[in-house]
Amino acid sequence: MIHLSDINKTYPGAVPLHVLKGINLDINKGELVSIMGASGSGKSTLLNILGILDSYDTGEYILDGTLIRNLSENRAAELRNKLIGFVFQSFNLISYKDAMENVALPLFYQGVPRKKRNKMALEQLERMGLKEWSHHLPSELSGGQKQRVAIARALITNPAIILADEPTGALDSKTSVEVMKIFRQLNDEGMTTVIVTHDPNVGAQTNRIIRISDGLIVK
Amino acid sequence: MLDLINEIWQTMRTNKLRTALTGISVAWGIFMLIMLVGLAKGVLNSFADGDFAKSANIIQIWPGYASMPYKGLKEGRLINLRDTDLGKIERENKEVVKYAAAQLNMPSTNISTSRDYISKSYIGVFPEAQEQLVMSHGRFINDHDLELQRKVIVLDKKSAETLFGSEDKAVGNVVNMTGLSFTVAGVYDHQWKSDLYIPYTTARALKGYDDKLSTIRVSASGINTLEKADELEKKVRTTLGKSESFDSDDSSAVWVWNRFSNYISNQKGMGILNTVMWVIGLLTLITGIVGVSNIMFVSVRERTHEIGIRRAIGAKPMRILKQVILESVAMTTIFGYVGILLGTIGTEILSRAFAGSDFIKDPTVSISLALEVTLVLIIAGALAGLFPAMRALKIRPVEALRTE
Repeated sequence: MIHLSDINKTYPGAVPLHVLKGINLDINKGELVSIMGASGSGKSTLLNILGILDSYDTGEYILDGTLIRNLSENRAAELRNKLIGFVFQSFNLISYKDAMENVALPLFYQGVPRKKRNKMALEQLERMGLKEWSHHLPSELSGGQKQRVAIARALITNPAIILADEPTGALDSKTSVEVMKIFRQLNDEGMTTVIVTHDPNVGAQTNRIIRISDGLIVK
Repeated sequence: MLDLINEIWQTMRTNKLRTALTGISVAWGIFMLIMLVGLAKGVLNSFADGDFAKSANIIQIWPGYASMPYKGLKEGRLINLRDTDLGKIERENKEVVKYAAAQLNMPSTNISTSRDYISKSYIGVFPEAQEQLVMSHGRFINDHDLELQRKVIVLDKKSAETLFGSEDKAVGNVVNMTGLSFTVAGVYDHQWKSDLYIPYTTARALKGYDDKLSTIRVSASGINTLEKADELEKKVRTTLGKSESFDSDDSSAVWVWNRFSNYISNQKGMGILNTVMWVIGLLTLITGIVGVSNIMFVSVRERTHEIGIRRAIGAKPMRILKQVILESVAMTTIFGYVGILLGTIGTEILSRAFAGSDFIKDPTVSISLALEVTLVLIIAGALAGLFPAMRALKIRPVEALRTE
């Protein structure tokens, strides 16, 4: 599903910063993996590249059979929309849209008609057990509920992979467990999931832990 | 499209106060624009309705002094205009000249009734001199008066009131003038004209000793361009030059008031007035537009994170650009329309306030003006949104990963 070979990334500047120094990584379909590393290890940069949010200098990144390289902004947006479901640490819901509208937003950018996408959004919310909350604004939801709304949004386009960036970072331990349960459940249903975290407990609940240190994957 | 409108509506609603405050400045700008253009239009209407348009086909000629030698005659001669010139002008310029009329200014004299007297000069005229004079009682000088050298007089309202107590008592009664009795044929009412008129032939007979006249008035047809008006003026000068022995290029030999050229330059002046009003209005509007632009910058900055999220979940850059620009257009147009509405009400009030005035006539907003202003609003809104939108374009999707 994900194939990275010899990915290098340098941030230019007065003192160029060589962040990724040749990453080789394969993630298969249906895997639930976590990427762990200290801050400054390059895991955020790796996440950006995996999420087509940033470009890389050399190497090769193939996502679901598509070579991700030198894409135009439009093409990148399209691929993000179709292939990747993002789950963020701070939920990143749009504050003035209710839960249903937030979930439906990726479909809005696909040009799906309102009725259809709202129906699909409701289905996803039901799956997350949030049907009764579909017309609540994010500010009226608890942290765990917000993250479940965010997961519903990530799932609505039926993406190839879910990319989660510290999905439990802003949650208490009890809700963290709930959210991880959802990820495991999704994985059981065959969803390929990559979780970036520095929480060992989260890492422990995944099938495989990829440790990154100083721009390289540690075996 | 409906979705986009909904998106815009949502973002505008989240910042009600800010949207309203910015909106007021746009509404005010449009209000001023409408009021100014409406006023200019009012002034324009009053001119278009006035004397200018209707008497544009008349040129007037007064005698002057020759400034060039002609056929052995020296410069500095007094040029006279005489009765015989009228016929010459008509005959030699048949294709354009309808008729040539004359006026003879008479010296001031005492005009009296048993009630009171006035000291005033009077003019011998042809019937055509009536032009736009509205008779409140009786009639103006007519062709029969000229033919028969009748001793009739046309009074202005104020003189009639002095001589007879009230204007409706004047017609048919007699005034004494230069030892002769004149019957009042009519009374007219005009804002600033107060001349007294008698038939030209009567004035000629009273003067007696020569055939010099004061003014020639040439009425022409088919004068609709400045070139034709100038050509007519030149033809008349040539005719008079031959008749009265002066060079037709000698511009001071006779003084010509070409109403048509005057009309054209008035029109130009009106055009300039209109433009000036537009410019002032637009400049006022710019204040509002800059406000909108400013607010959009703030909005884009505040929503950096949100735009990052939108980009991350698949919004294409053009989508973001479109949304910001349309938001700006929506804001300017909605509040602009509030301004148009207020401006329309304002001009209606002005219209009532100036009803009956000669200087501002019907200063109301036309459909075409409303359409023009709408176009201005859309362009202004797009311009106001353009730079903030370009700023929004630079927001990278990575922003979504930044924790707030």
